[in-house]
Amino acid sequence: MGMDSEKNSLCRLQCSYASLDEAFEIGKETYRGQQYSQIYFARLHLMRTLLYSLVSQWKPQTPVCTVLGLEQGKECVIVGTLYKHMKLKPCILDEYSKERSAVPLVRPHNFMHDDDYLVLEDESGRVKLGGDLISPSVFVTGIVVALHGKETGAGDFSVLEVLEAGLPPQIEFPLKSREDKYIVLVSGLNVGSSDSNPLQLQLFIDHITGHLGDEKEQSIASQIVHVVIAGNSIGIPRGLVNGQNLASKDLSRIAEPIKELDILLNQIAAGLPLDIMPGPNDPANFSLPQQPLHRCLFPGSAAYNTFRSCTNPHSFEIDNIRFLGTSGQNVDDLEKYSDAKDKLEFMERTLRWRHLAPTAPNTLGCYPYTDSDPFFIESCPHVYFVGNQDKYESRVIKGSEGQFVRLISVPKFSESGVAVVVNLRDLECHALSFGTQFSS
Amino acid sequence: MAQTQTLALVEEIESLVSDKLQVVSYKWLSRNYMISSNEAKRLLQEFVEKHDGGLEVVYALSGWLKGSHPSYHIRLVTGPKLAEAQQEFDGNCSIQVYSVQASIPKDPAVLWNAEFIQAEELFKQPWSVDNCLRDNRFCGISSSFVQRNVDGMPVVAATPLTKASVGIGQTKMNVLQPQKNIAHDTIPRADLKSEDVVKDVKSESNGTGSTGVHDQVNKPSEDKEKVVPAGKKKAQSDKSGSSTGGSLASFWGRASAKPKPSSVPVESSNTVSNHNATEDAQASAREADGSGDDDNQDVTVRRSSNRKRRVVFDLSDEDEDVVSLSSPELPKKQSSQDSKQKDNKSSEKATLNSDTKRENKPMAKEEKSSDKKANQPFQEELSVINKCTNNGKSSSEKPQSCAPDISVNKDSTKNAAPGSPKRRKVMKTRIDERGREVTEVVWEGEETEAKKADKVATKKSENNVSTNSVNSSSGPATKKTPAVANTTGKGSKKTVNKDPKQGNILSFFKRV
Repeated sequence: MGMDSEKNSLCRLQCSYASLDEAFEIGKETYRGQQYSQIYFARLHLMRTLLYSLVSQWKPQTPVCTVLGLEQGKECVIVGTLYKHMKLKPCILDEYSKERSAVPLVRPHNFMHDDDYLVLEDESGRVKLGGDLISPSVFVTGIVVALHGKETGAGDFSVLEVLEAGLPPQIEFPLKSREDKYIVLVSGLNVGSSDSNPLQLQLFIDHITGHLGDEKEQSIASQIVHVVIAGNSIGIPRGLVNGQNLASKDLSRIAEPIKELDILLNQIAAGLPLDIMPGPNDPANFSLPQQPLHRCLFPGSAAYNTFRSCTNPHSFEIDNIRFLGTSGQNVDDLEKYSDAKDKLEFMERTLRWRHLAPTAPNTLGCYPYTDSDPFFIESCPHVYFVGNQDKYESRVIKGSEGQFVRLISVPKFSESGVAVVVNLRDLECHALSFGTQFSS
Repeated sequence: MAQTQTLALVEEIESLVSDKLQVVSYKWLSRNYMISSNEAKRLLQEFVEKHDGGLEVVYALSGWLKGSHPSYHIRLVTGPKLAEAQQEFDGNCSIQVYSVQASIPKDPAVLWNAEFIQAEELFKQPWSVDNCLRDNRFCGISSSFVQRNVDGMPVVAATPLTKASVGIGQTKMNVLQPQKNIAHDTIPRADLKSEDVVKDVKSESNGTGSTGVHDQVNKPSEDKEKVVPAGKKKAQSDKSGSSTGGSLASFWGRASAKPKPSSVPVESSNTVSNHNATEDAQASAREADGSGDDDNQDVTVRRSSNRKRRVVFDLSDEDEDVVSLSSPELPKKQSSQDSKQKDNKSSEKATLNSDTKRENKPMAKEEKSSDKKANQPFQEELSVINKCTNNGKSSSEKPQSCAPDISVNKDSTKNAAPGSPKRRKVMKTRIDERGREVTEVVWEGEETEAKKADKVATKKSENNVSTNSVNSSSGPATKKTPAVANTTGKGSKKTVNKDPKQGNILSFFKRV
């Protein structure tokens, strides 16, 4: 490609790529008017089998029984789905209640309240959970756990110990030393919105495609083998998409951001493989798993074999390293209904519960699957990322069987100008930031 | 680069910056003068050195930041702030000239504008052109594995279609030009997608991820692309008679993703059906199926037998992707499951049905299924229809039905399929009793009879009888048609009813 006398000797490295998104594609599912009980049932079944096998090692002496089979004072283990009763959780019935209670109808950011309590439910019944060891602020509705405790006189189940599913088994991390190869994670481009800085984004594209920088920098850039855009790529003004018919001039206002994004993606796809995931603000379906953005939105970029439109959540394997990521909806929802010190802790919890989005379908939109739950994490990823967060954070967690996972919280690029670069050799990551402020 | 060339460029830069007050960034420079990015940066560096005053320079600094967390930072700074910005970096940072301009704008994004306008221009070039935007040729890194599929949609109509059986269509294609590239491209890409995804997964899981893989992926998709564009072109060629609105709307309809390869033929046939293609680009529809040859023969046969506008191809479209002429949204294939593209003039069908019951059955089957397999029976039917055609019936009837209406009346390719239960939404133009030209969206096939309740009863009954099985599916389609008719507001009057000209069709038969 060198047009000048000096041939650029830099060649971009390549990697092997395998998409594991099949579970998240809705293609085969049919909607026959079913509701969500089936997905809960599937989840319970799936995880209960798993938990039973774990319980036998955890508490071999204690009997396992169903909720209905609880006897007062007898220690046993019960397995079921947790339900968290939240006082502040918005309920449609509140809007119709005759007397407006003190609870405001306006949604706060976090619906937790001190009076929340947990209930364990299985096919036979439910029982309220008591005791100090189980804290409602940590759990949310939809998790399947095993509880060891006994029934009290009041009819509650006093919890002595909690067993979560734990990190799933992980495939071997390919340890052979290899060259540095990088994968870039970015999210929240918000192209077309007023608070996005196109110059910053152009700098980003120039850097990873190898236009910017001197030899050294371009050689670093040539080691970037993959880019994943984790949602919220398009920032269409919210006021336009309110269901009203649009005047023709408004139509172009909607189409402009997408065209702009297509041009930008075209520049990236012409250089290296690109995955784009839909996010909460993208023109994709609302409920999880979000289906891939339609290729017709990107007529220019979709022509490239390097362009790949993926589902949200997105699971793929690069050079035998497994990645799993979402555009942020699962963690944002957890943040509304539970408490943790940072986003990475929410992510760690989802891994330990072995479920990507436990609050789906309770408070997170989800497709009513009938016989499977695609959010169940079967195999532990090596890198788990969540997009559209407030800041860049990263941590490694370890599992009981030697699993290790790099957790990454990818910030919104339009606000922070920060993308994340992960080194495939050792799963180290660093931030890639861009600044364009001139004044002051 | 020759010294003189450099000098000339430097002067040009100066004039651009000083006189036209344009922001000259290295990227803009490289794309404009076809030099590599590195070269452009060097050029700007020289320029800055030569012209010291009166110009603002923006530098791009990049390097690792000081701090506990490793962070690679790239930022743009103006000349005066260069030194202090360098302090923020840990160790050496590379400094390069990013752009020169007459003055620093308040909003940094203004720097990006000129570059983006240029990129947009490059982006808008015809698909087959491989420009510097599209192949990223000026960057410092070569990526040999990247391939771009230029679909077979030639800009100039004269390009021979790979599988286009319709030689006749070619001439028409020359006429058409207003290609909505985006709309067109979506379809081949839609097909591509499924192919690519499937193949990519397979191939990449093998750990190759190299060009070889891509070749495999690209080939079939390219074939399909060629086929589809062919169909599209034909469709377009026929715009003259039919309402352009219909053709435009059909683009949207076609733009729905068709993951199945069968979608390609379907789509092409869809487009065809929507436009009155004398050539009956149905051939194109057939091609994808591989039955193109048969179709061609059919077509030729048809032509010989009285201007068969309708090609049996319509039968093959069991796949939806129905070009809903009225629907501006991009219908997913489910959108019109039952709206098959089978264009059948109901009248013709009626007569045909009565004549060729056996054809109806396979067609009915087709209607139901949305698989490519259905194409097979259609193919057979084609041959059957051919025979019928030769009898001077079915196929000939359809085109003829148009004929009496008006020469302008170009129906979307109605399949001459005798009594084909395929329903197809077609735009039909005719002169009504008051002498006005009426364009309406009409469901051909058993649909039509349902719609045209007030029409020739005989025909309807015939159709109903023959296509009982399809009636269920025709129901929703029927409902759709009025909606379609309402929404296709292209300025032409829409009447859901078939006009009394249906009677003329019969007269045509008599003529034959």
